[in-house]
Amino acid sequence: MKLLLQIAVVFGVCLVGEVLEMLVPLPIPASVWSMVLLFLCLLCGALREEHIREKADFLLKNMAFFFIPAGVSIIEHYGVLKSVIVPFLIICFVTTIITFAATAGTVILVTRLMDRGKEHE
Amino acid sequence: MNDLLQEIYASPLFAVFLSAAAYLAGHWIHRKVGLAIANPLLIAIALVIATIQLLGIPIESYNQGGDIIAMFLGPATAVLAVSIYRQMDILKKNLIPVIAGTVVGSLVSMASVYGLCRLFRLDEKVTAALLPKSTTTPIAVGIAEQHGGIVSITVAAVVITGIIGAMLAPTLIKLFRIKNPVAAGLAIGTSSHVMGTSKALTIGEVEGAMSGTAIGVAGLVTVIFSIFLQ
Repeated sequence: MKLLLQIAVVFGVCLVGEVLEMLVPLPIPASVWSMVLLFLCLLCGALREEHIREKADFLLKNMAFFFIPAGVSIIEHYGVLKSVIVPFLIICFVTTIITFAATAGTVILVTRLMDRGKEHE
Repeated sequence: MNDLLQEIYASPLFAVFLSAAAYLAGHWIHRKVGLAIANPLLIAIALVIATIQLLGIPIESYNQGGDIIAMFLGPATAVLAVSIYRQMDILKKNLIPVIAGTVVGSLVSMASVYGLCRLFRLDEKVTAALLPKSTTTPIAVGIAEQHGGIVSITVAAVVITGIIGAMLAPTLIKLFRIKNPVAAGLAIGTSSHVMGTSKALTIGEVEGAMSGTAIGVAGLVTVIFSIFLQ
């Protein structure tokens, strides 16, 4: 029963997310709306963590599993990809590493600058 | 006999069974080999593709169950809110680095994709398809469509980026000597969206929560910035 209630809560929030996606004319997907919505519900106390804990932990711990069909769908797109496959793979590889480094570098730099700012106060 | 087999393959149960078995096998191999390249998700995807190709199963049959598994992606992304909420204190303390890191990361992602597309002389349709590749699939597809990109290339780029992120994250953390878990988590989420986040969650609670935060912020930044690209 407890788990059913949790499924109802999480899926209910996701349904509202889908409605928001349809109503708001921005390319923000239902899943991101649902995440923001669920976060706000937790913040304002409309939901407590124990309302969804087990369901959330199940989904979080097994998250990669739900991406298998998306990965398999690559074979459906292979026809279109074939002509650009080499630059495609190079771009995916290189830009992912560059983005990773740029993000981490910025966070570390800003954190250091802020710490230094505090020391001067 | 063949008809019976095709019927079994077309049952949603078959795809769910095959995917779960492939995922368990992926984890088992990952534990045995212990290398980043032996990523459980990558192995599972390869095993499923190999199986349906070998047995001659049409992708439509696999999708009967595949669509059911994919339906859980929405709820799985939504509950990232729980992991972020659990790290609320860290998020509050690091609000400025969080925003700065994801904004810079998202811009660098789009700029580097654009630069490399020019270098390889790829046409507009492919460039527009690749630009939003570091965001989660629905956001990336929405942006690519608006700019006339080829959507199937976008879907493939997002998935490949996610696999690369999940596969390389632990190696990159070591390579760049990142000791700050906030920086590591944000870097994973900004560069490789939800698929990278699935790996970040296994690295640590702070990494997972920050990676989840980055999906939302990076998605938003990419959406806003792509409006100016038109």
